[in-house]
Amino acid sequence: MFHALVAVKQVPDTTNIRIDPETGNLVREGVPAIMNPYDAHALAEAIRWKRQLGGKVTVVSMGPPNFVVTIREAIEMGADRGVLVSDRKFAGADTLATSYVLAETIQAIHEEDPIDVVFFGKQAIDGDTAQVGPGVAVRMGLPIVTYVVKIRELDLERRRIVAERKTERWTEVIELPLPALLTCEKEIAEIPFAPLPDLIRSLRYDPEMWTMSGPLEFDKGQVGVRGSPTIVFKMGTPPLPEAGEKIDAREVGVAEAVKQTFAKADAAGILDTVLGGAR
Amino acid sequence: MTTRRFWAFIEQEEGHAHPVSWELLGVIRRLASQVREEAEAAGDEVVVEGVLLGHNVGHIAQEALCYGADRVYLLDDPVFTHYRNRPYYKTLEEVAQKHEPEVFLIGATTLGRDLAGAVATALRTGLTADCTQLEMGEVKGSPQKLLLATRPAFGGNIMATILCRQNRPQMSSVRPRVFPMPERNPHPQGEIVREAVSVTEEDALSRILEFVRPEGESVNIEYADVIVAGGRGLGTAEGFGLLQQLADALGGVVGASRPCIDAGWIGNAHQVGQSGQTVRPKLYIVAGVSGALQHKVGMQNSDFIVAINTDPDAPIFDVADVGIVGDLYEVIPAMLEQLAARRKARGSGGGHQEVSA
Amino acid sequence: MSTNEKIRFDAIVVGAGLAGSAAAMVMARAGLNVALIERGRKPGGKNYFGGAIYTHAIQEVLPDFMERRPPFERPVTEAGFWFLSSDGGLTKMMTSGGKLANEPADAYMALRATFDLWWAEQAQKEGAFLIPKTTVTDFIRAEDGRVIGVITDRPDGELYAPVVIICEGVNNLLTQKLGLISHDLVPAHQALAFKQVLSLPMETINARFGLPDAQHGVAASVLGDISLGLPGMGFIYTNKTTISVGLGVMLETLIEYRLKPYEVLQRYLQHPAIAPLVEGGQLLEYGGHLIPEGGWREMPKLYTGGAMVAGDAASMVNALHWEGTNMAIIAGKVAGETAVVAHQRGDFSEQTLARYEEQLREGFILRDMKQYRNFSKFLDTHPQFMDVYPSFLNDALGNFFSAYGKPKRQLFKEIYGSLTGRRPLFKAVGDIISMGRAVLGW
Ligand SMILES: Cc1cc2nc3c(=O)[nH]c(=O)nc-3n(C[C@H](O)[C@H](O)[C@H](O)COP(=O)(O)OP(=O)(O)OC[C@H]3O[C@@H](n4cnc5c(N)ncnc54)[C@H](O)[C@@H]3O)c2cc1C
Ligand SMILES: Cc1cc2nc3c(=O)[nH]c(=O)nc-3n(C[C@H](O)[C@H](O)[C@H](O)COP(=O)(O)OP(=O)(O)OC[C@H]3O[C@@H](n4cnc5c(N)ncnc54)[C@H](O)[C@@H]3O)c2cc1C
Ligand SMILES: Nc1ncnc2c1ncn2[C@@H]1O[C@H](COP(=O)(O)O)[C@@H](O)[C@H]1O
Repeated sequence: MFHALVAVKQVPDTTNIRIDPETGNLVREGVPAIMNPYDAHALAEAIRWKRQLGGKVTVVSMGPPNFVVTIREAIEMGADRGVLVSDRKFAGADTLATSYVLAETIQAIHEEDPIDVVFFGKQAIDGDTAQVGPGVAVRMGLPIVTYVVKIRELDLERRRIVAERKTERWTEVIELPLPALLTCEKEIAEIPFAPLPDLIRSLRYDPEMWTMSGPLEFDKGQVGVRGSPTIVFKMGTPPLPEAGEKIDAREVGVAEAVKQTFAKADAAGILDTVLGGAR
Repeated sequence: MTTRRFWAFIEQEEGHAHPVSWELLGVIRRLASQVREEAEAAGDEVVVEGVLLGHNVGHIAQEALCYGADRVYLLDDPVFTHYRNRPYYKTLEEVAQKHEPEVFLIGATTLGRDLAGAVATALRTGLTADCTQLEMGEVKGSPQKLLLATRPAFGGNIMATILCRQNRPQMSSVRPRVFPMPERNPHPQGEIVREAVSVTEEDALSRILEFVRPEGESVNIEYADVIVAGGRGLGTAEGFGLLQQLADALGGVVGASRPCIDAGWIGNAHQVGQSGQTVRPKLYIVAGVSGALQHKVGMQNSDFIVAINTDPDAPIFDVADVGIVGDLYEVIPAMLEQLAARRKARGSGGGHQEVSA
Repeated sequence: MSTNEKIRFDAIVVGAGLAGSAAAMVMARAGLNVALIERGRKPGGKNYFGGAIYTHAIQEVLPDFMERRPPFERPVTEAGFWFLSSDGGLTKMMTSGGKLANEPADAYMALRATFDLWWAEQAQKEGAFLIPKTTVTDFIRAEDGRVIGVITDRPDGELYAPVVIICEGVNNLLTQKLGLISHDLVPAHQALAFKQVLSLPMETINARFGLPDAQHGVAASVLGDISLGLPGMGFIYTNKTTISVGLGVMLETLIEYRLKPYEVLQRYLQHPAIAPLVEGGQLLEYGGHLIPEGGWREMPKLYTGGAMVAGDAASMVNALHWEGTNMAIIAGKVAGETAVVAHQRGDFSEQTLARYEEQLREGFILRDMKQYRNFSKFLDTHPQFMDVYPSFLNDALGNFFSAYGKPKRQLFKEIYGSLTGRRPLFKAVGDIISMGRAVLGW
């Protein structure tokens, strides 16, 4: 039987993010929360293999209690079990503290019900760090492949997985022993439209809540703010660069505007270098 | 006396250094210079060092000296023939524990991002991703200057400055092209130190079976000298044909804003911006792009920016060296025409012009 | 699929808007197992209105609604008409005080994204089961044609219940599928409403609208030089830190004059009387929505065996008053009550469900609908109405805008009474009278 674990995070839909013009703060109100898209695709792949091989999918998330929405969404997509690790003391975690809590949790689940593949998203779209997946792999001592676009082979008997990972240069085909950890690109699988009975089951599903008081014992010094070596020193809006000159082609005519532009580029020594290169 | 070590990871594949490595050496040298005074007062020494892993890559270590390293730690072994996460991170963990760098920068490439998170976790230290600004600055309560790492957050709408107070090294990943390429010194002074390699093939736990190289068109806009970029203002996918003509005339490549990629007008390798590539060409011509923050962060460091937009208030003009208020479908053909005229002038009586240039 | 695997509920409501959640609330409270199906990710996410919500209807469904902390914006403490002239002038006819000072207020500004969510949550608190992200596409029928369930767009997407209440809003595809209405609404009978939500600091809004604090708010219907002299009406509402501003124009007119909604709205926003109010506002939302304006004649039959239809889907909108939410809520409630009665009798036939329409006739909805049946025709034949300055006396306006559940005919009598007692002040009174004829059949 196949057992996949998927780490899912709830994120604000950053395509909708706004900054309050007065306070410079992030406006969270009305910004829809979604399952991190990369995680959703990773989950879709885990479920695809579960359907093919038989077995189950467990999802884990660390975050505030309202993350149950995202766990329910995972159940809707076909996950069987959801664990939400949630405690006030976890707040303010950076990627190091997050990877600690996730690794401990996944390890505990693994000991009770051995996991074959741990899936992560390539990165979370709110922080864009791509650090948590590798961090958990290091802490658990698992082999890792990042930026996976395809699982070619998943052989539970020979305990191996063959994955394709895309880099700037090429696609690497990598073989790893199981259990292994993958961080996934969106290409890995399409998100299916869940059947109605799955949706209804998910709406009634209450995930397990793990906190500082149990069932696991977390080290206070390694969670939340205390476990985070980095702190935000200050926040600001990006500085405005100095604007250059504007030429209105509707006033001076297109040919003249271009002529003046090229003259400026010449003066800056740009066009000659460039044209030199083009010859 | 202690030695304060400023490290850059020298990234290479198949014996070719990634240029971001040199950009990192440039930054790290600047950071080192920012603590020099403080170090001298305390009787400390400051050094700029590179760490290089690979197989038969001595020539790259030499190059690293040319780009400003005082010392390069070279870990040369067949186990590093191709990049793999475990042998790399375990080795870096080991050398970092041995030499205790104060600051450690890694390029935010696919390879670098895969590696940085693992190394930072192994060293139980802080790592700030995708920094766009780095300074050594004074922070209340800290006897020494700390690395102030600034990065875009929340879709680029906010810049957050992050620091790592206690744990060492202070790590950051840096995207290619965010910082300038330093001058190359053909006669460097520094030294190459070969370090013993302890990881073995068995430790790797992974095997690369195959490399599939992309066929056909592959663009590399990241290191292009000239980029002609277009946005939703093109109106249609065909508009990129016109941009390509201009790019060809200038020996450049075509870039695009995200909506064009989303609309399927052009492949995502062409995307410039926060969720695409950061570029730093000599010349960036941008037409029909409004200039959203997420686009600007990807291109505002270009040497010379020409923006074309029908809307005189488009924010793209804020970063342009020259802005043309006009219709790109009139302006670009005029550019092509005038470039052709120049070329002709060069081709025939061009000798005269070149002498005077 | 075998029979016992079927998903069954006592009742299904299609659409978690104003009408739908009201229906679900009433039925769940009576102990029925109710599925409330909504196509959006969340209730309210894609819904649109001006808008102000009238409390009398909410109170009928939820007497203790104020304790449940509805996410209202500001109360309507000042209401009336603004008339824009083409030379940039603005004449205001506003009422404040009197009924508008009630606590809780007769009407509150609201945003659908937050209000509908809260409204559906109240239904869930009563025990209704909300099924989001699911679109009902068709019905399951018994051999005799009675509706016994719905089909959704999801795989294995059938849901069974002996009674289905359709609250799908203006795009009444399902109502058409049931044959309750035989055709698409024609452009002549629909208005296209479009609006922007602009964000401004609370103090700026207070200062620009002359409001002492955020516990006071303006709701104005805007007439005159707004829709290029074409039949249409604008509105402007003050929320806490946003302004909702928009207008509705008959769809037919837009098509005929080849107008782009956005251009019409821009023109309105640039009117010298409006521009300073919205200046510097950051655009948060822009969208459009159809409003059925066909009136009484376009109202479908409201029930059939196993199904009822309520709210905009049944054209229950009062064009002149930008009202619809109150009717939607009341209709949802009455439909819900009828479903409860049907369960008690164990009979879901057309005859039993006829109670729904009978009960509505007792109330104000249908009487109002009849009364306004000539309104949109009137706008067609009297486009000058939009360009002149008709007026009502101030005290009469108070009545006009407090929709506390009296039939409109009675309200107009009160208005007319006070109007005739004084000397007509405006040259356009003739038009008012013919409007009165259209509306009231004077
Ligand atoms: C988390 C996040 C990440 C993002 N990442 C990126 C990214 O990496 N890269 C990116 O580009 N965007 C990114 N975006 C999207 C970004 O916010 C903008 O939506 C996008 O850059 C706008 O693209 P545009 O300028 O092409 O289109 P528009 O904003 O629609 O601008 C079109 C412009 O064309 C002009 N125009 C129209 N016709 C003509 C003509 N004939 N001649 C000249 N000018 C004309 C118009 O005046 C207008 O200014 C991101 C957004 C988010 C939220
Ligand atoms: C611009 C504008 C301004 C207005 N201003 C006001 C005002 O100020 N005050 C006032 O009282 N009224 C106002 N109205 C009218 C009022 O908004 C409507 O009359 C009222 O919302 C109708 O409620 P409803 O429940 O019938 O429909 P809706 O609120 O439209 O709800 C329908 C719901 O059904 C869902 N749905 C539709 N089809 C399906 C399906 N097949 N499967 C599942 N779900 C489905 C939709 O997503 C939606 O949630 C205004 C309308 C507009 C357009
Ligand atoms: N709080 C969290 N809970 C569960 N998974 C997480 C959490 N944070 C990050 N992840 C996982 O780690 C991946 C990378 O996140 P990041 O390093 O924040 O970009 C995400 O795609 C998730 O799979």
